[in-house]
Amino acid sequence: MSTVESRTRIGAGVNRVDGPRKVTGTAPYPMDFSVPGQAYGALVQSTVAAGRIVRMHTEAAEAAPGVITVLTHENAPKVGTGPTTVLGAAPPPPLRNDRILHHGQHIAFVVADTPEQATAAARLVRADYEATEPLLDLQDPRAEQLVDPWGMDTSRGDAAAALKSAEVTLQATYTTADNTNNPLGLFATLAAWEGDALTVHDTSQWPSMVRTTLAMVFGIPESSVRVLVPYVGGGFGAGLRVWPHVILTAMAARMIKRPVKLVLTRPQMFTSIGHRPSGVQWLGVGATRDGELVALDHRSLSSLSMEDNDYEPFTWASSFAYRCPDVITQDRQARLNIAVPTSMRAPAEAQGNFALESALDELAHQLRIDPVELRLRNHADVDPRNGLPWSGKALRECYEVGAQRFGWSDRNPEPRSMRDGNWLVGYGMASALFPYFAQPCAAQATVRRDGSALVRSAAADIGTGTYTVMAQLAAEELGLPLDQVRFDLGDSDMPHSMMAGGSGLTGALGNAVHDACRRLLRQFAELAHDDADSPLRGFPPDDMECTDGRIHPTGRPDLGEPYADILARHGLTELTANGNSTPPVPTELGMSLSGAYGAKFVEVRVDADLGLIRVARVVSAIDGGRILNEKTARSQIIGGTVGGIGMTLLEDTATDPRTGRIANGTFADYLVAVNSDIPDLDVVFVGEPDRGTATGTKGVGEVGLVGIAAAIANAVHHATGKRIRDLPITLDALL
Amino acid sequence: MRAFDYVRATDTREAVRLLADDPEASCLAGGTTQLDLMKDGVLQPPRLIDITRLPLHGIERRDESLHVGALVTMEELAADTTVAERLPMVRESLLLGASVQLRNMATIGGNLLQRTRCRYFRDPTVPECNKRAPGSGCAAVQGAARMHAVLGASERCIALHASDLAVALVALDALVHIQGPTGSRTVPLTEFYLTADVSPERETVLEHAELITGVEIPLPPPAARSGYLKVRDRTSYEFALASAAVQLVLDDGTILEARVALGGVGTKPWRAHAAEHLLTGAPATTATFTEAAEATMQDAWTVPGTAFKVPLARRTLVRELQTVSGVTA
Repeated sequence: MSTVESRTRIGAGVNRVDGPRKVTGTAPYPMDFSVPGQAYGALVQSTVAAGRIVRMHTEAAEAAPGVITVLTHENAPKVGTGPTTVLGAAPPPPLRNDRILHHGQHIAFVVADTPEQATAAARLVRADYEATEPLLDLQDPRAEQLVDPWGMDTSRGDAAAALKSAEVTLQATYTTADNTNNPLGLFATLAAWEGDALTVHDTSQWPSMVRTTLAMVFGIPESSVRVLVPYVGGGFGAGLRVWPHVILTAMAARMIKRPVKLVLTRPQMFTSIGHRPSGVQWLGVGATRDGELVALDHRSLSSLSMEDNDYEPFTWASSFAYRCPDVITQDRQARLNIAVPTSMRAPAEAQGNFALESALDELAHQLRIDPVELRLRNHADVDPRNGLPWSGKALRECYEVGAQRFGWSDRNPEPRSMRDGNWLVGYGMASALFPYFAQPCAAQATVRRDGSALVRSAAADIGTGTYTVMAQLAAEELGLPLDQVRFDLGDSDMPHSMMAGGSGLTGALGNAVHDACRRLLRQFAELAHDDADSPLRGFPPDDMECTDGRIHPTGRPDLGEPYADILARHGLTELTANGNSTPPVPTELGMSLSGAYGAKFVEVRVDADLGLIRVARVVSAIDGGRILNEKTARSQIIGGTVGGIGMTLLEDTATDPRTGRIANGTFADYLVAVNSDIPDLDVVFVGEPDRGTATGTKGVGEVGLVGIAAAIANAVHHATGKRIRDLPITLDALL
Repeated sequence: MRAFDYVRATDTREAVRLLADDPEASCLAGGTTQLDLMKDGVLQPPRLIDITRLPLHGIERRDESLHVGALVTMEELAADTTVAERLPMVRESLLLGASVQLRNMATIGGNLLQRTRCRYFRDPTVPECNKRAPGSGCAAVQGAARMHAVLGASERCIALHASDLAVALVALDALVHIQGPTGSRTVPLTEFYLTADVSPERETVLEHAELITGVEIPLPPPAARSGYLKVRDRTSYEFALASAAVQLVLDDGTILEARVALGGVGTKPWRAHAAEHLLTGAPATTATFTEAAEATMQDAWTVPGTAFKVPLARRTLVRELQTVSGVTA
């Protein structure tokens, strides 16, 4: 696999190709689709958190105006289960039996002619429950614990012995709250059957997986299922599973032989599509007096629902974040009567990094070593797990450039040493990483008779800029201006794509697009190779490139000719090539895949009497490898930072401790950051194209969020002298 | 579907008569509370009487008081020149409330009558709510309470009155003009609200067929200084965790007159008479302010989630007394 050394390290800040459609309101989101004759669904949800349904009362709803049917566990057809993915087993299908596992569980699905009729009738459905005491407390000893659920626990050396003999030790416990993904776009599903063929518009970050799931659930061929997702109003991880409401909608449509549409309400968004699980972390750190890490013991317990899986290895990255000889990391999950947790932007890393980077700040303070210096002393120059060199790691440069832009050297290390009127001023920093992730991807590239190109893959663009950067990449590979290239996605009939998740799509799909374009180029070159009328005749097809829409031998643009001329001479209307990418294998590369790195520097202001916390500025220095589009990449870091500020200071999904009901499931009550909470955010990209992949990208969707929590908490400590180890940090902790 | 009648009243007498005719009818003005609660199934009025066309839209200065029609919007009142010049505390309380979109819809009468944001009240699937179902109990007391009241609160109900404007208006001794079936009456805003420890299900002295027609705000003496401080987790679009409306008349370091009210802590907008009593005639010092703040929060009734509001409200009041007086020592 070759690297693309000749390409620019940071691509032009091209505007989003889908921008005009979005700002003019013409981009159709899943809830915008309708088909003739569709009926509307409304969910009925459990009002107890544990127990069983004794009796469903659906008569009033069934008799209500416009109601077509009411599905419950008593009349719902049995269906299959979707595939296990990298995120674990598929969520169990809905309405299987009478058991209640959490408050807000779907217990009935009302279908009516209009959405108002469905909503009104849903309120008429009553259930008699035999309620039992719900398990709601993460540390309830009665809760079943999953040990090493991901097989990702690590141990090297003897952390316990090293901790015992360390010159300096630190033990601390950190907690993080439940957060709810809360994309702005309400999740929607529109399902239409034609015989045994199913077409679904669905809010998803992974159309190919929705197709596979629905085929398995309904026992029909995958080729009979089409999933359409041209636009998604945000996901933050909530669209990575096929949730029960999607299956209910398709199930109802099949039963009534009419298309059915469901749009979740905002409160239902809190219980139906996952959330970031709460967690507690125990950290033991051993170091020399010079600040060299000698032992790290990082353990976590996070919340899980009764029957689902959730990928949250909080502590895993602590095994390679720093050079440290003796390390143990362990993750546990406790099964509770809660709605299913799921990935939320920077899953596991957001939480694990908060604990690790807070602890390092505590250590730096204890040892009177500058926090940046402490991290430099423990920088992992090679992968500490296996000694392999990194495929690209500019973390040192992140520290250097970030500190310089921030003015870190002005920091007086003494807590409570900086003040501006009533405001205590604090500076804090943290490292960030987000591990490399990729899955197989495919793409197809076509050049038409006029020389324009269409490139496709069944990916989703959840607002990150996939449409734009893939069009840019294809334009570059094919030597075409951007307006001659269309990249299309969001249709499961297109070549298979991985999820828009794990910061992996740009790299994996980019490599597939790269491959498709290179293969297409080769097809043109092969046609021209034996073509007497071509200036390319006799040149080796492997050694071609494109400039200004002309294909030519590498380094010889004077010998080129346009695609259109080759097609015309051969009587072809188009040429198409398929490309693939598979995740690189470290042992084959002889390198560990680095993933993205960053250094975050934050200034906070804390009102000395009132405890108000305001973020005054943030500098994010990011090593994202090659940056395809400086503008959309910067937007990813800004968005991640905003999410990080929300997670740190505001976001807290409150569960009623008696009933398990979400007590703040609205946008008025669940606080996300608003514009006035966010200062100017400085983002700078450093580093080089990653050596491990063809396109050199690392993925920047999540690293923007990681580290913000610890940097803010560390800045709050610097401002006030108070170490807050529990998120969110609200003013009551500082009174 | 849950159908309801919609009637548009053209004058105040007609509106009152329509209300009197139907004991379950509700008024519709800006709709920012009413429609939310209907959508959530908390309120199910069989008849909505649209009062937006009633002639209650004016703002008029008469001598040393400002007469504000009940249908004036929050944004209109905030933009009024008399308010800007003479009632900065009212203006601040308005502009720190809600969002500009909501302020363009929400009316002054509706603001005074806004219902609590308690999520236990606002979710009809929660069975225990003495406000919705008298005698059923209070789920919030044992629940996830944070945005709840500590003054005028008890195990019967801890629902917060979330208005910012009403806090400033109770401090100023505003009067509420009311039209009923048998005539009109005027009630001081300080006597308008009932506390939830006494009557969770009944929040004001307003009878069913009575309509707020306007609010009369006495203008403060020119020597008065005032301000409104709102403390909350995020900087916009959130209800107060604690707020303080303060108006002082000072003479050479002595407090001649003090008006103090607190928000974010009471089951009604909380006029702090005890604080005013301690402040009046006392030297304007932080020690005085602290004493006043302590007296105000003395009778707080807390649950674990709301305990922080006691020190927070004290500090908020001290801070605003310092800011308004200019005394920080």
